[in-house]
Amino acid sequence: MHDLDERLIRCFASVFPALSQEEIENASSESVGIWDSLSSVTLAAVVQEEFNVEIEPDALPDLDSFQAFRQYLNVR
Amino acid sequence: MKLIEALKTLQSPLPDGAQSLRVYLACGFTPLHLQTYLAAHLRRLMPGHASEIKTGLFGDLAGNIERLNPSEFDVVAVVLEWADLDPRLGIRQLGGWRHHQISDILISAESTGERLNRALAPISRHVKVVLSLPTLPLPPAFATRPLHSAPEQLKLYRIMYQLAETLAGQVGIQIINPLYLSDASAASSRYDVKSDLLSGFPYTLPHASAVGEHMARLIGIRPAMKGLITDLDDTMWSGIVGEDGVDGISWNLDGHSQIHGVYQQFLASLASSGVLIGIASKNDPAVVEQVWRRKDLLLSREDVFPLEIHWMRKSDSVRRILSTWNISADATVFVDDSPAEVAEVQASFPELVCRVFPRNDTAAAWALLHELRDLFGKSSVSEEDSIRLRSIREAVVWRQESGGSGAPSEEFLRSAEARICFDSGRTDDPRAFELVNKTNQFNLNGKRYTESEWHQLLEDPSAFLTTATYDDKYGTLGKVAALTGTIRGRTVDLKSWVMSCRAFSRRIEHQCIRHLFEESGADLIRFDLVATERNGPIQDFFRSLSASPPGGIVELTKEDFFAKMPQLFHRVEVSTHA
Repeated sequence: MHDLDERLIRCFASVFPALSQEEIENASSESVGIWDSLSSVTLAAVVQEEFNVEIEPDALPDLDSFQAFRQYLNVR
Repeated sequence: MKLIEALKTLQSPLPDGAQSLRVYLACGFTPLHLQTYLAAHLRRLMPGHASEIKTGLFGDLAGNIERLNPSEFDVVAVVLEWADLDPRLGIRQLGGWRHHQISDILISAESTGERLNRALAPISRHVKVVLSLPTLPLPPAFATRPLHSAPEQLKLYRIMYQLAETLAGQVGIQIINPLYLSDASAASSRYDVKSDLLSGFPYTLPHASAVGEHMARLIGIRPAMKGLITDLDDTMWSGIVGEDGVDGISWNLDGHSQIHGVYQQFLASLASSGVLIGIASKNDPAVVEQVWRRKDLLLSREDVFPLEIHWMRKSDSVRRILSTWNISADATVFVDDSPAEVAEVQASFPELVCRVFPRNDTAAAWALLHELRDLFGKSSVSEEDSIRLRSIREAVVWRQESGGSGAPSEEFLRSAEARICFDSGRTDDPRAFELVNKTNQFNLNGKRYTESEWHQLLEDPSAFLTTATYDDKYGTLGKVAALTGTIRGRTVDLKSWVMSCRAFSRRIEHQCIRHLFEESGADLIRFDLVATERNGPIQDFFRSLSASPPGGIVELTKEDFFAKMPQLFHRVEVSTHA
């Protein structure tokens, strides 16, 4: 598995510990019931710290799934 | 700690029987990651506790504190920032920084400071309060260059420190030292303006971790060390007195040995706050005796006891000193300049905290003093602290006069002119709380209490708290025992009973029970006894009164007790507070 994916899965697992790896890879704010605004802010903070990136406030609303985070990090 | 680590820490399973720790986190901003970090650091520092953190409303620190019910929490953690004193000192609320508006900000800040003081002071009488003073920089609202302290800025600092000074005088409040926090979190790396504007959380993640960790460290119950055993040569002074002579050793600037004088000064400071200081030195006692006569010595002969000065092993000296003090090795620190001596002592006493006094390295010696202060630090110095060493000296005289370590004779007890003063009704006695939380040997069940639990226990209308103060012709021991429980009808349920180990062999424990029966009018006392690894002396006491081995609730009738009670010779005085 790609290093980025592994690290991103770890980030998601820290915020959503009940999800399996497969569920994380398919996770979105719609499919994960406990994904609320607090989870979004926490997830963004964990990802920023883990990948040493600055997520722009305007980008946050679109980062609503594992795949969205993956694409965002891939272009940086 | 990274945020991902904090989250993982909180996901780790709690041990069976984890004790609940109810924390109220009072802050004016969104608690967000600070709450996570505080919980994670509490879990690491107090793994046997399950912390439950509650928070209040955004932007209303003073109101949150005013509204909280202290009986619902074990700890209140207050994180103050400038914007809590006046929102215009933050950037989420725009109210104007014109020159004439600054004076209004100062008036408002002063008023909020007074309001916080009024809200926090009464809470601290019921529950432990930990306070973090403003950690973020003031905004560029003042006319001067940031390099140049504006008078208005200095006035804000005065308001803040005045509040801190007033609150620090309250027994239940502990304030994080801002300089200490600076070591962990540089001032320039604390503020996250983007996060403040986006989510109302103003801290960078490393700063949130540092604040959470420091708060957790003050929240954690860590009993202060009780005794320090120190070497003399190249430790208390520079040089070897047996070779260099009494005038050849030094602890001054001229001899480039000032740090040893600082160490002496530090030991004298510890001694004056009730820490026991003992000497373990391989030396000729007659030569060392001459050093005590030097006028420039900063530690007095009266500050130290006992002195083990001979050529035997250091571990033997440590064993004798611990026996005289009657404290355990894990409450004691050993300091010696010789790594070999330190290793020898450490091998005999693995629980002892052993430190090498650094030779020719003043920076390392300075760091050692800071570490020692951390180990011995206490919130306040009590009257008992000032008499501790004297009473230990007197206890040695007592043992010698009474014929050794066994039980003293009836004649000796009769002639000791002992007096016990029982004091009831004072529920705010900090010495009773201290005794309950640090006594191991004569302790009914080893249960430790938070301030909140202690107050809840005593708020029961049927609850009582009695303390016993002892003195005899050999000296005073101070307040040595505390008993608390409830009285219902003709039954006393004793939930906590502790007595200082200095008070053993004087039949004070018998007098305590006699007093309890006579004052309460009860026919039966039920003791909530739990055998612990270290409360052998109280188990022995119950064995002496009961035919069956103790365990669980022990019941003692008045008739049984008075039939088995030995003769008591104390003069008893009783004072009761309404």
